[in-house]
Amino acid sequence: MASKRLRAANSKEEEGLAVDMSPMIDMVFLLLIFFIVTANLVVVKMDKRVQVPVAENSTPQEKKTGRIVINVYGEGVDKDGNSLAHPSGARFSIGDQTFTALPDDDEAIFEYIKEQKDKMEGTLKPQLHLRGHRGVEFKHCRRIIRIAAEAGVDQVIFASYASSNAYK
Amino acid sequence: MARHKKGKALEEDEPVLDISSLIDICFLLLIYFLVTTTIVRSETDTNMQLPAAAPSDDIPEIKPMFIRVDNAGVIFINSGPAQERLDDDPESRKLPMLAERLGTYADGARAAGQEPLVQVYVDGDAEHQRAIDVIDTLRSKQITKVTFTDLVN
Repeated sequence: MASKRLRAANSKEEEGLAVDMSPMIDMVFLLLIFFIVTANLVVVKMDKRVQVPVAENSTPQEKKTGRIVINVYGEGVDKDGNSLAHPSGARFSIGDQTFTALPDDDEAIFEYIKEQKDKMEGTLKPQLHLRGHRGVEFKHCRRIIRIAAEAGVDQVIFASYASSNAYK
Repeated sequence: MARHKKGKALEEDEPVLDISSLIDICFLLLIYFLVTTTIVRSETDTNMQLPAAAPSDDIPEIKPMFIRVDNAGVIFINSGPAQERLDDDPESRKLPMLAERLGTYADGARAAGQEPLVQVYVDGDAEHQRAIDVIDTLRSKQITKVTFTDLVN
């Protein structure tokens, strides 16, 4: 009985001092996780409509900076019935938030790659990150590679999946 | 008397441990790993240096191996009368015949103190996946000197 009273008195005293840390820790973790997730996704934006090919000897993405992302769209629908083409019907798009379509014009694509390359001048080594649909004709991908080479970007990264059962 | 009471109070306080925040954090981490491992399948890199933009003046001392992929995805090596038809199943991601020939060629070149040199021509109507299959096979044999011929279609 006495001990209960003692504890009640003690707890009353402590109420003024005790700071409950757990919600703060929860919030800190939430923020931490949020920033980890966004930091990884922002650099190389992936358009799910582009189904990249399978290459078992490919390596995990190490440096995500300095990549000029270009998506090459195919035709048809995926297994859930979603269209694989770009909403505007464009063949190519850039890797920004909205996957802005690139005009079907060598000059415009050249200008875009050149502009991106000049932005990185001196700080990063520009690389062409080519996300081609696995079923698209190779000539479309080759066209982008050729234009990039003309713009002075000679390092090409083909996006791929390392697992052969990616589409099973 | 007083000391006894104090000891008892401490004993009763001890087992009280608030683990709810620990559980919160564990759940958060669990959810984080669930999300990152299943929903976002991470893409991997297949790097290639484009020699077209990095020309070399040296005449190669070794005869390059020529690989051609036709519009149906069939793989050929060499050209002219020496042309050989290799892997012809476009649905298979493995190219065992090409891998074997490349292995022999690469070993021969390395034994002679040369770096193996490969020229690839992919027909414009071949599927992108097929071109990646060839590049992937080259990478599996550590062949890095690759030329894409005829970049204009």
